[in-house]
Amino acid sequence: MNLKRQLLLVSMLTLVLPWAGYQFIHETESALRAGQQRMLSGTARAIADSLAQHPEEFPGPVDGQVTADQLYGHPLETRPEIDGYFDDWPLERSSLQSLRGTDGPTRFAIGLFDQSVYLYVEVSDRNVVYTQAGAAALDDGPRFSDRVSLINTSPLYLTERIVFAAEAPGVIVAYVLDEYGFSPDPSILATWQDVARGYQIEARIPVSRLGTHLGVVVSNTASDLETPVRSASFSAQVPGAFVTQSPELGAISARFAQSDMRMFVTDSSGWRIAASDNLEAANSQPTSAGSAWLRITYDALVESGQAPELALPDPGGREQQDYIVAALAGEESTDWFRSAESGRAIVAVAQPVVASGEVIGALVLQQGTDAILSLTNQGLVRLMNVTLIATLLVAATLLGYATWLSRRIRRLSVAAEDALETDDLRSALPSASSGDEVGDLSRSFSRVLRQLGDYNDYLRSLASKLSHELRTPLAIVTSSLENLEHEPLNEASADYAARARDGADRLRKILTAMSEASRVEELMQHAEPERFDLCAALRSTVAAYQDVYPDRVFALEMHNDSATMQGSPELIVQMLDKLVDNAVGFSSDEDTITFTLTTEGNSLLLTVTNPGPSLPEQMRYQMFDSMVSMRPSEDNKHLGLGLYVARLIAEGHGGKISAENTADGVAIHITLPGDTHGE
Amino acid sequence: MAWQCTGGMWQIVARETNLAKRIAIVEDEAAIRENYAAAFEREGYSVAGYEAREPALQAFDTRLPDLVVIDINLKDDVEGGFELCRELRSRAAELPIIFLTARDSEFDAVSGLRLGADDYLTKDISLPHLMARVAALFRRLDAMQKPQSRDSRIVRGSLEIDTDRMTILWQDQPVGLTLTEFWLVHAMARYPGHVKNRQQLMDAAQAVLDDNTITSHVKRIRRKFIAIDNNFDSIETVYGMGYRWLAD
Repeated sequence: MNLKRQLLLVSMLTLVLPWAGYQFIHETESALRAGQQRMLSGTARAIADSLAQHPEEFPGPVDGQVTADQLYGHPLETRPEIDGYFDDWPLERSSLQSLRGTDGPTRFAIGLFDQSVYLYVEVSDRNVVYTQAGAAALDDGPRFSDRVSLINTSPLYLTERIVFAAEAPGVIVAYVLDEYGFSPDPSILATWQDVARGYQIEARIPVSRLGTHLGVVVSNTASDLETPVRSASFSAQVPGAFVTQSPELGAISARFAQSDMRMFVTDSSGWRIAASDNLEAANSQPTSAGSAWLRITYDALVESGQAPELALPDPGGREQQDYIVAALAGEESTDWFRSAESGRAIVAVAQPVVASGEVIGALVLQQGTDAILSLTNQGLVRLMNVTLIATLLVAATLLGYATWLSRRIRRLSVAAEDALETDDLRSALPSASSGDEVGDLSRSFSRVLRQLGDYNDYLRSLASKLSHELRTPLAIVTSSLENLEHEPLNEASADYAARARDGADRLRKILTAMSEASRVEELMQHAEPERFDLCAALRSTVAAYQDVYPDRVFALEMHNDSATMQGSPELIVQMLDKLVDNAVGFSSDEDTITFTLTTEGNSLLLTVTNPGPSLPEQMRYQMFDSMVSMRPSEDNKHLGLGLYVARLIAEGHGGKISAENTADGVAIHITLPGDTHGE
Repeated sequence: MAWQCTGGMWQIVARETNLAKRIAIVEDEAAIRENYAAAFEREGYSVAGYEAREPALQAFDTRLPDLVVIDINLKDDVEGGFELCRELRSRAAELPIIFLTARDSEFDAVSGLRLGADDYLTKDISLPHLMARVAALFRRLDAMQKPQSRDSRIVRGSLEIDTDRMTILWQDQPVGLTLTEFWLVHAMARYPGHVKNRQQLMDAAQAVLDDNTITSHVKRIRRKFIAIDNNFDSIETVYGMGYRWLAD
């Protein structure tokens, strides 16, 4: 994995930004909600306190009364037509209360509008039995019929029943039954409608006609001779108290009403006895394509509340949500709702209304929180944008930085390689002056290369230094041996002396070879360059080589008739001597050693090729160094100085020498600067 | 042979004859000094060995030798041989001086010869070669005393070689050649047009020289001729073979 990829991977760390943003938004949202709840709680407490000033408006619990027996009078906003149908009621069908019956459920609702109580009952009945004329008020036979009775009492004082029975569908007459007898009541308007599954009754009764307790009883009979089955809305002896909304409390709560706030008051049983609803309907803003993914992230990020439908007032009139129940138990509690679709949240607070130490009811406040929504929305958009920009920026910066860094390192490594290959170990490496780690690296490289250069120089001078130091002791040995020749020696001693002379002679040859390099360098310094024709020199030299090495075939290929250059012909010939010596040493009898001379621009290209073993790859650059020999180790006549001398001469003439393997041997290339100015 | 030690100075007196030529060897390496002394003595010379510049100069104050062999590096005196040579040359213009040293650099050779030495030899040289050179130098000295003989002259165009005196004239002007250079020119010019290879030249010069030394000798010879005649072009390099003298 290169540096660029590594840093790109590191740049992925910027993705921690959305996480941090999420934490921030989450906490902000929680804090905002908590703040709103606190504020709402304060308001709720204030309202509850003022409501507590009116304990009389809260219907207290009645002894022995079952809450479930109570009926709830829905406040109606419009006047329903008494036509036997529910569809013109400003209520949901879910507001209908249900009773069990033999043929199916009976549903009914009671509404209040303008001093009238409206009753709607739908009865499931497979077989509608109409009453006989004049028998509508008679409940107890002998001839029975299907009917609905409204039990109307004010305990202790009044008990009566209002009976709705029909001789035929349509407008019917309601009879009032009490202990004194029965009579039709013209103030009560009622309509009977037959429908597919049974019948429906709708009626209007003046409020003044009714007492405090109401109950509904449905009698269903299979025929006029059978005793009907009764189902009642109450299980006790008397019906439960009729619950209606209190105009007083309504007025009080209206005073506190604020925009985008829903308020309702319940009695101790949870019945809603006052309500004001200014809560804006969840404005279902059209979700654009751009915000679709926003919504998804929103849902993923923000804590979900309860479904917003649960915040609505109970259609049946009795609030039984956990937080309201908790408030009725005397404890202030909060809840919150959130619409996943719109993102709109509703914060709700339920506050007990306490009068003389007793919980007489509860106040529920609900408020929409567009602020939270917009904050989180904007926050999210900004978060996404910032994250995107930051990630791109960081990635781009890191990429650029990595490119720059890796280019510097690559340049350094290329320069180091070059320095090694060209043996220019003192050249300045890039980035050497920068103060960072790359600079350190460059300086270390330079130091290593310099030491290598020093070492190479030491090696190069070693031969000539050594030969110089050895010359004096060798002179002692040779002169002593030469003197010894003049002394009388026996045969054995003479042999030994002769052997010693041979050895000393060989030693001298070696020393001469060793100092040759320094001699060549010296010659090069003092040489006065002359213009000469390399072609002529080659022709004459190659002819001479053929005489010296009769076992080899020498070929000379020249593409020009003349190739002039500046330099010392003797040294160039000496260089050729070394190359030929090398070529002969690595080839076998009858092999052809080829000299090729071409011109390339202003350069002369001389190549000497010989068949023979290939060069080991790692030796290609070292073979021109001092005391590097690739000949078998038993061949100790060669110190590995020949090609070094050739290199000194080539480089001394401003040229270059290199070696390469050919198909069947080795080629040594020498590039020399030509001198064409004179022509 | 009698060895006498006088104040750190070795004096070896040739027994054979009082007329023997006297050679002084200034050399700090005792073994070499004695080996050379023994060899010279065997040839009949009288030899005095000195290990440093000061004792040598003191002895020369009394009497100059006939020939001096000097090492350049004398003990701690790195350039002591050069100093000694300069001193001697100022005292006696004709005294043959030979440098015999381990220093084989071109620069040292040029410096030594410029100081007026008659020859510059490295310690590679074998004793017989050294003897030959010394003998040649004495011969030349003797020849100088006698009138010039016709037999010893070789004339090749503008070149005139006196083999006795070992002098060379080019266009009647003397060319100041060292012994080695003289022998090289002599070897080439005796048979003009013939290529002399390096080995032949080496043998002629009575020296073991490597290729580079021959190259620089030839170069020096050419320069000396060119100093007299700008158009000198008689020594031809035959690449890969050697040199030849071209008759003009």
